[in-house]
Amino acid sequence: MSEEKLLEIRNLQVQFNTDRGAVTAVKGVDLDVYRGKTLGIVGESGSGKSVTALSIMRLIPDPPGKIIEGHIKFKGENLLDISLSDMRKIRGNKIAMIFQEPMTSLNPVFTVGNQIMEVLDLHQSHLSKKQKIAKCIESLDLVGIPAPEKRIKEYPHQLSGGMRQRVMIAMALACEPDILIADEPTTALDVTIQAQILELMNSLKEKMGMGIIFITHDLGVVAEMCDEVAVMYCGKIIEESDVFTIFKHPMHPYTKGLMESIPSFDSTGIEAKSRLKTIEGMVPSLFDLPKGCNFQDRCSEVTDECRGIKGPPVLEDLVAGHKAACFNPLK
Amino acid sequence: MNLYVYTLRRLLYIIPVLLGVCAIVFFLFSVVSPDPTLIMLGKHASVQQMEELRRELGLDRPWFIQYLDIVKSAFTFDFGRSWSTKQEISTMIKQGAIPSLTLSLPAFVISFVISITVSLMVAFYRGKFLDKIAVFGCVSMMSISSLAYILFGQWFFGYKLGWFEISGYDYGFPDFIPYVLLPILIWVILGLGPEVRFYRTVLLDEIYQDYVRTARAKGLGEHVILFKHVLKNALIPIITNLIISIPFLILGALLLESFFSIPGLGAMTLNAVNASDFPVIKAMTILTSVAYIIFSVITDICYTLVDPRVRLR
Repeated sequence: MSEEKLLEIRNLQVQFNTDRGAVTAVKGVDLDVYRGKTLGIVGESGSGKSVTALSIMRLIPDPPGKIIEGHIKFKGENLLDISLSDMRKIRGNKIAMIFQEPMTSLNPVFTVGNQIMEVLDLHQSHLSKKQKIAKCIESLDLVGIPAPEKRIKEYPHQLSGGMRQRVMIAMALACEPDILIADEPTTALDVTIQAQILELMNSLKEKMGMGIIFITHDLGVVAEMCDEVAVMYCGKIIEESDVFTIFKHPMHPYTKGLMESIPSFDSTGIEAKSRLKTIEGMVPSLFDLPKGCNFQDRCSEVTDECRGIKGPPVLEDLVAGHKAACFNPLK
Repeated sequence: MNLYVYTLRRLLYIIPVLLGVCAIVFFLFSVVSPDPTLIMLGKHASVQQMEELRRELGLDRPWFIQYLDIVKSAFTFDFGRSWSTKQEISTMIKQGAIPSLTLSLPAFVISFVISITVSLMVAFYRGKFLDKIAVFGCVSMMSISSLAYILFGQWFFGYKLGWFEISGYDYGFPDFIPYVLLPILIWVILGLGPEVRFYRTVLLDEIYQDYVRTARAKGLGEHVILFKHVLKNALIPIITNLIISIPFLILGALLLESFFSIPGLGAMTLNAVNASDFPVIKAMTILTSVAYIIFSVITDICYTLVDPRVRLR
């Protein structure tokens, strides 16, 4: 498969002005998205993964949020430099996004058809009304919604959560975007529906050859979906590699901690008897970050180095293609 | 169930509600309130005089007959005669309705148009300078007593500048216009503060919903988002607020009418209260209730037109 780079994020920094002062939610994130590949961004709540995703769409609520540094190049064009009206031509057209809350992400007072048509009206205005309706039905069919020609006349409240997320995906894919950003698209769904949606996204990726940015806190989902993985903690990427390497050999103690907190099964498929491990402590407040490494208070490998003499650890290639920001990477 | 059956059912609900309203009116005027004969004849009336008046007013009849009278009046709008002017009350209401409506209807429409426009603007520029100024203005305007607006308006625009009439009324178009201009202006100004604040809150509640983020992610512009997605969702509270205030329009504006000596229903009601003219007060109470009930049914029907989630049950 061709390695066409669709998106290049360098040194992205996003700041929020709050009553307690300015807080930097994303601190120098570098990411690349390639055609036909899925990039996973993993992290706990507040790690900056959603803010990173919203930054790509320039949907950070401003005020209070602001992108203060960096560039986001989409096919070579810096999205942070173009006008808002040019950005609107990209949103929903070249880069589309789906969200965590399928129950509330659709407008309750417009029909499903109307909401999908809106995207086509905006970005494919050269099509005739008939062609648009046909496309609308086709996109619902594509995401596996039965009897789409009936569904377009229905309202969101008449659909289940899984169906609504399918509608969201249909809406996002209506214009065949280059990049799909999925911000925890299955978190609010139950497990069987979750599996269906993930499978759907994987098959659509193959079919349409787009790049996917998949945001989640669930490493199990990452293993199923992603080619590349970036782990975020307190607004920084602390480990990045391809999915096989990171699962086989996590280098950052945080990544390892995350993996150990997935329930494991032994080779016979019986759940392991040992107690499920957790990561001790809490994510530090962004207002009160420790000097040095942000993970020091929860880390099993902590040394004096981590406590700030050398400053925070830098994300660097420890092995070719496997980056981690840690003074004492796991062997 | 279709809209017609739904409407019919909602209309049938009016009957028990109306009977309840009549019971409350009866209780207030015939059980709790002081003996009307004492009010009308004064302290030195003889027992015989009082008996005679009771018979004349029909107060000697059994209580359920008196209650049925009230119920009948609620359906026929025949409220009998006023105690103080001896006029047919239905005639009085017809006469008073014209001045009241020439004041309240235009004021109501202008007030709504201005406040919804301002609120949409404020919602569009939320958090910005214009929004802050508007909120500050609304609160300041609400903090000043309505009397201050009336007195200042009459003194400044009426007396100093001499732009408007400040007392009286002329029947017929366009003769009434100079008399209602200033009260309309004051009505609009009085309503602006609370209404802009209410509509702003309703609109902002919707603007932070997830579906608005979806709309932005589709590439829609802020205007389409506000006027299509947000406004349609905000319509329910807006419609409620709007339609439910219509019944009070027939009451006119109690204060404004009496300050500007406009012979409308508001002034009539105020006079009736001062004169303990029970039949008129009763009539106005029932009339307002009937209007209120009818307009709440209309509100319910409007919901079904605006919001697909409202089921016709």
